[in-house]
Amino acid sequence: MPDAISAQGISKTYNGKVRAVENVSFNVEAGVAYGFLGPNGAGKTTTVAMLTAQIAPTAGHAVVDGIDVFANPQDIKRRIGLVFQESTADSDLTGRENLELAAALFGVPRKEVTSRIDSLLDRMQIGDAAERLAKTYSGGMRRRLELAVGIIHSPRVLFLDEPTLGLDPQGRAGFWRYVEELRKDHGMTVFLTTHYLEEADGICERLAIIDHGHIVATGTPSELKDRLGGDVVTVRPIKPDPTLEGVLKGVPGVTSVAVQDGSFRVKAPHGEELIPALVAACERAGVGLAGVSLKRPSLDEVFLEFTGREYREDDSVSATDRAVRVGQVQQAFGRARR
Amino acid sequence: MIRETVALTRRELLRITRNPQAIVTSLLLPILYLVLFGQAFNLENLGSGKIPQAYFLSAFRGAPSYFSYFSAGMTGFVAVTATLFIGANVIFDRLFGVLKRTSATPATPTAIFGSRLIAGSIQPIGLAFLVLGLSILLGHLGLSGLDITASVTAVGAVEILLAIVILSAMFASLFLAVGFSLEQPQTYFAAVNAINLPVLLTSAALYPWGTMPPWFQNVASVNPITLAVNVLRENMFAGATAYYPYGPSIYLLGLFAWALAMFVVATLLARRALAPKR
Ligand SMILES: Nc1ncnc2c1ncn2[C@@H]1O[C@H](COP(=O)(O)OP(=O)(O)OP(=O)(O)O)[C@@H](O)[C@H]1O
Ligand SMILES: [Mg+2]
Repeated sequence: MPDAISAQGISKTYNGKVRAVENVSFNVEAGVAYGFLGPNGAGKTTTVAMLTAQIAPTAGHAVVDGIDVFANPQDIKRRIGLVFQESTADSDLTGRENLELAAALFGVPRKEVTSRIDSLLDRMQIGDAAERLAKTYSGGMRRRLELAVGIIHSPRVLFLDEPTLGLDPQGRAGFWRYVEELRKDHGMTVFLTTHYLEEADGICERLAIIDHGHIVATGTPSELKDRLGGDVVTVRPIKPDPTLEGVLKGVPGVTSVAVQDGSFRVKAPHGEELIPALVAACERAGVGLAGVSLKRPSLDEVFLEFTGREYREDDSVSATDRAVRVGQVQQAFGRARR
Repeated sequence: MIRETVALTRRELLRITRNPQAIVTSLLLPILYLVLFGQAFNLENLGSGKIPQAYFLSAFRGAPSYFSYFSAGMTGFVAVTATLFIGANVIFDRLFGVLKRTSATPATPTAIFGSRLIAGSIQPIGLAFLVLGLSILLGHLGLSGLDITASVTAVGAVEILLAIVILSAMFASLFLAVGFSLEQPQTYFAAVNAINLPVLLTSAALYPWGTMPPWFQNVASVNPITLAVNVLRENMFAGATAYYPYGPSIYLLGLFAWALAMFVVATLLARRALAPKR
């Protein structure tokens, strides 16, 4: 299989000082769904922006669907679909008009325009609001429209930047079903950034974890989970007790023990069966326990393992922050106009 | 390319018609001028009949009254007040992500810019004729009104239409150039204000030709609003051609040169703004 996306050492430094993405390389085989995970401000949106020719990279080389992105920015746009992290729907047009415009711009065959729009409106369950101006839509309805606009031309490579942000479960399910169909019918490649780790787990064949502009881990979801060394049992003593680390390490079957905020993260291939032994060991050592919990290896754990945190508090402005702010501005103007 | 441009132009026109406030705002200034300034500023009443009519006829370049002369000027000025929203839309489209969305589609920068230019050139036509109609109506309401003393020929009507369209295209280009270069609504409107008044005040839209000193006439005669308004006045007032050194086609040509120059500048700025960001 040829690669649908190939990024070689792409970097982006904003304004000569913010190093958003540094020397990132990866390949995505055609037809694969590739997940890009990372905390706020990690460089996900910047990577998507470079691969879709919205911004020029500071360094590096990228080929998407056989086209050199940075040499032929205009050619690439014909082949890809893109759903932005923030809302970009046209408020002064109706839902249907938004879709008609996208269909015309992407050269959807005229005969198919109406039937495609109707089927998308139906799938995204915004058919009832199709003739209403998009500015009257709720946040989730806007998002649904946004998704419909992004896939109306059945692109060969689909870039999704946190596509299901703010969507209810039905909305998510409906969208992913349609994406799955497009993948089956057209062999579409999907590049997805998300914070919803369970979503990435269910959809993506391969994942990359990005942090501070660097890829810190890649692999299939199960490979990444395996790298964690199995389950995690968190043992929380009543009083902080540094000696407990040695005690827990001595229990047969334990792979490793890490201390975090006074709790002990015990890794073991079969955590559930180990709990009685761990509790017994603590009793023998005379350590009172406040609680014991078991976590199966989820991508949440993977995330925590490779980035050291689940969600980062950062003083820099991330795209999520900007999206929220633009939303506020839009609301303010929308109100003023009405 | 054609399909893209048509679809984007349609979008632009839909947007304009769905924001009646913008239309009202673009008509506000010209209408205020007509119903206040124009009513109070009846220059031909000076001298209580002692000044010969021929004197005024020459000062107004063939127009029968100051109001007639000036309302033709206001019709041209609508091209300015209406097109400034085309540039403002670029600012808001960038702010709300619409511009980003559009530049992520295969639509070329030429289509993105061109569609806005086309919409900007068409949209003021209706408004200009509204101002023209209102000026005539005022005269029938016992107020000062526009008196079209010539019988306008078919060629003349086409010339008037062309003058309005080309003038609108020129200002649409200018405001698009500003819109694509600036990012904040506040700076955009500050820039627009800095453009509008000087352009109006150096044109012959307001002042009687006969009261301007020669140096001012020289400045005013190359002002694009003057060029367009000359075409209107030569066609609307009987015997007016005698007061103008050139015929309407020459003024249209000059106006076209202005529009072309503005178009080139605006295209360059729009292309730069729509290219992948460094
Ligand atoms: N236009 C810009 N100018 C300057 N810095 C920027 C710009 N866009 C992004 N950055 C910075 O680059 C870094 C990466 O931002 P990016 O938007 O790619 O993150 P992200 O992974 O998409 O985050 P999020 O999960 O919040 O969407 C952040 O530190 C951000 O502040
Ligand atoms: Mg982002």
